[in-house]
Parts: sequence; structure tokens; C-alpha cells
Amino acid sequence: MLSMSLKALKANRLKTTLIYISLIFSITSIFLISSISNGVISMYSNMLKSDGDIIITQAKISDTFFSNVDINLIKKIEEFPEVQKTSAIIVGASPVESLPIVAVYGVTSNRFFNYKLIQGSYPKENEVLVGKSIYQSLKNKKSIQIANKEFLISGVYKSEIGFENGGVVLNIFDASTIFNKSASMIMINSKIEANLKKLISKIEALSSTIEAKSTQNFVDNYNQFKIIKTSSNLIGLISFCMGLLGIVSIMSITINQRKTEFGIKRAIGISTKKIVTQIILESSILGLFSFISAFFISWSILYFIKSSSLFHGYVNGEISSTLALYLFICSISMAVLGSIIPALNASKVDPIILMQGDKI
Amino acid sequence: MIIEASNLTHDYNGDIALNNINLQIKKGEFVCLIGESGSGKTTLLSVLSTLLKPKSAQLKFEGNDYLEIKDIDTFRQKNIGFVFQFHYLINYLNLFENIQLANNKASKDEINQILERLGIKNLAKKFPNEISGGQRQRAAIARALINTPKVLFADEPTGNLDSKNAKIVFDLFKKLSSEGMTIIVATHNKELAEIADKIYEVKDGQIA
Repeated sequence: MLSMSLKALKANRLKTTLIYISLIFSITSIFLISSISNGVISMYSNMLKSDGDIIITQAKISDTFFSNVDINLIKKIEEFPEVQKTSAIIVGASPVESLPIVAVYGVTSNRFFNYKLIQGSYPKENEVLVGKSIYQSLKNKKSIQIANKEFLISGVYKSEIGFENGGVVLNIFDASTIFNKSASMIMINSKIEANLKKLISKIEALSSTIEAKSTQNFVDNYNQFKIIKTSSNLIGLISFCMGLLGIVSIMSITINQRKTEFGIKRAIGISTKKIVTQIILESSILGLFSFISAFFISWSILYFIKSSSLFHGYVNGEISSTLALYLFICSISMAVLGSIIPALNASKVDPIILMQGDKI
Repeated sequence: MIIEASNLTHDYNGDIALNNINLQIKKGEFVCLIGESGSGKTTLLSVLSTLLKPKSAQLKFEGNDYLEIKDIDTFRQKNIGFVFQFHYLINYLNLFENIQLANNKASKDEINQILERLGIKNLAKKFPNEISGGQRQRAAIARALINTPKVLFADEPTGNLDSKNAKIVFDLFKKLSSEGMTIIVATHNKELAEIADKIYEVKDGQIA
């Protein structure tokens, strides 16, 4: 049956190619949408996870961008025996030269080491460390202006977390002056033996204006991530439906044009089940090859995006094995669902009618 | 009787194609249905061979009601062979594969024997578009015979053949009939039909 399916696909080259291209477009778009949103979430959550297992933000705020936490809490937190290390960060954004928006990270000095120096030194007061991607696009490589304040460029860094390369790092006290806040977040590294739940309760007891969460809990419940995930799932679903509609249309046309063949097969006694199985097999082969092609196309596009200085490292897709598996199932389902409806319709028509050419 | 049809009626969207036909065909009989185009021959053959469900009829095959057949595809494969005016071979399969398609349990030798009997064994690896009309029609007959059906239906099987090839086909039908196979052929060629055991004339959807 496999050989028969391959021969049928080869015999209907034009339609096979059209379905193949439709499937590749749909699967690639789902791949790109999902992997880019996954990449954004993964980059940000990796950034947070690298700094600790507990995150403190201002209570009842929707985005860390608006959070303001008193940095002096660090002193009290460090007194807890379960705490190994603390750091704080201000997350802000500002235009820099011709770039409309650049991420600005004001960090405590113990967090500087997250940024691997490739040139110069870590920033002192009124100095900034700039990401590799930003540095390449700057005309003035000696200083930059952030919110009407001039900062000398002390060095250039490279981060493993793509979008950090498109940012600017400075001392948290300088950032505090610019953004008029103490800290966006405080991150805590606990000792291995520490009970996280108890530690979180103790931290939250320090102030009624803060909210402490385990990093994993924070990442899982962060509104921005939920929005990105929901949007990408929705766009992915729309791509799936559009792909499915396209495939159903092309498969209907294909089956309509192959109705004589189905009629002949039924006339010579081949069971409907066998005919439908062959159509499903043909579709599955198409689905499989489309998936493989879409995987490599997506991988190449994502590699190009990651390597391109145009995106300053902000767009960094990630094809996880779960996403690949999910899309593999989607690809086969799209092809099978797209073909099974017209195939079942064809199977209900009398063979002689199919052979005479009446529409299904 | 191998086939019995009573009160057989069929229409296409109100246009009467078969009007109250009663017909009985004996086992091993060679029957020709003659009539002009549009007389209802093809519809009658399609209904008798289970390729088309009639609007109303009492149809029996070896005494059993057609309506009681649960697996019509298997029934058709085991009992019925059909040869069409146009060969209706699958273009992307060679002749050997086309015949194998009708019976994937048939051995290579069985298929080769059928091809040999029809004089096209040397064309086994050829595709339908690589051979002549007469050769295609013989391949279509080979496909119909591979299951050794009890009844072989043929609808204008010589319609696209020259007189020499047409004679070969009818002679073959006669031989098959003498071997015990029931043959039912629709044709407008009265001269060729003379070879049959029985001739029915179909006119305006009725047997005249």
C-alpha cells in the first residue's frame, strides 16, 4: 500500500506539490510563532533563574516594569540564615541614539558578573556597560545619553541570554535616579537546605507592599508570559485552521479529480476502508515530509534571526522537543483531517457515479 | 438462476432510466443487451452489477437478496467482474499492477497466465498510455477475470476497438461462457451480439 501511495502522489505531482507547499507554510508559521514566543519567555525566565530561586516584586502589580521595591530590604533579608546571596535589578527602557527603545538594566554590583566582558571594564558611577549588539549600532562609541543624562561607556559585554545583548547595564543607584525607583526586583539565592515556602513567608512578613515568589512560580504566573503564550497559541491555532482549510480545499479538488480512480477501485471490489486508508497514508506521507521540510526551514530562519544584528538579540527562537512533537502531531493531523472528509464523501457515492464524473 | 430482477426502476433526478424491468439470467448464459445510446443499457448493467443502487427493485443473486449483502465490496470482488467501454485502467500503475490491484492475493503466475491468455504477457510492465486501445481493453478484461468472477459484465467493451479486436473480445466471452462463466454484455453492435445465447433489446428503459 505504501508503494501504491507513493505512486499516486507522484502521479498527481501538481496537487501533491500544492498540498506540500500549503502544509509547509502552515507548519513553518506555527513553528516560528511558537518558537519565537517560547524563546522570549525562555530568555527572560533564564535571566531571572540565573539570579536566584526567589523573586521579590511590588505587590499587586501586573508587570515588573512598574514594580518598585525598597532596596534596603536586602539588608534585612541577608540576615536570614537560609539566604546565600541577594541582588537587585531595575528594569527600564529608554531611546538610545536612533534606536527607539533599548532595555536598561540597573543592577547591584554582584550581578555585573552575569555580563561577560569582551571589552573595557565594569561600570562605575555615571558609566554604562553596553551589550554587544547595541555597541555595534552606536555611532558614538564613547558615551550614550539615557534620559537626558550622559554616561561614559566603560565596556562591552556579551550575554548568553540573547536579548540582554541589546541592552545597557549600569549601576543600580544611577538607574534609580533615572527611573525614580529603588529596585524593580530583588532576587535571592537560598541555601540548598532552605525551605523555600518558609523563607518566602518570612520575607513577605517584612513588608506588606511586597510579594515574594519562587522563580519557577513567578515565571509560570507572570502575566506578560501568559499574554505571549496565549497570543502565540491563538495565532498558531489560526495558522492551523487556515492550513487545514487550504488542505481540505486542495484535497477536495484532488479527490474530485481522482473520483474516476476511486470509482474504478470500488468497481473492481477494493473496499472503501482500503481506499480511505490509502488516502490517509498518502496524506500522512505528505504531512511527514512537510513537517521535516518546515522544521529545517524554521530552524534556518531562526538561525538567521539569531545571527542578524538587525534584531539586537531580542528575537531568539527556540525549537523545543515538545514543540517539535506537538507540531509533528499537528502536521499529520492537518493532512489526515484535510483528506479524510472528502475521502469519506467519495466513499459514500456509487462507484458508477464516481466513474461518470459527477461531483462529490 | 444466477440473477433475477423484478420491478426494477431507476431514475436520474426524475428522468426515468429504467422502467419496471423484469429479467432472469441463468448461470453460464451469454446474454447481450442491445439498444441505442440512452436506452438504459448501462444503467441496467450498473444496477445488476451492484455499481449503482436502484430506486426500487427486487434483485437476487443466486437466490439471495442484494439488499442483504453486508459487505458489498467483498461481494463484488468475489462474484462480479466488469469491463467498461473505456478501459479505466489506473494510469500510474503498469498492466501487471493494474491486475494485481483487483486481487492482491493472486500469485505472479496466476497474473501471468491471465495476461498470456489475453495475449498481452509481453506488455506486463507497460503503462496504459504506452499501449494501443485494443491492448488496454484486453488488460481491462484480464483485470476483470483475475478473481474468476461468477458473472462478467461488459458495457460496450468493443466501442473503442476495430472490428478485428472486437471479434477477439467477443470470441473470448463466448469461450468464458462455455467454461461456465455468466456473461452479460451491453452493445449496440447487433452483428456481434448474434454470438450470444440470448439477446434482450432495451428501449426507453424497458425490455422490448
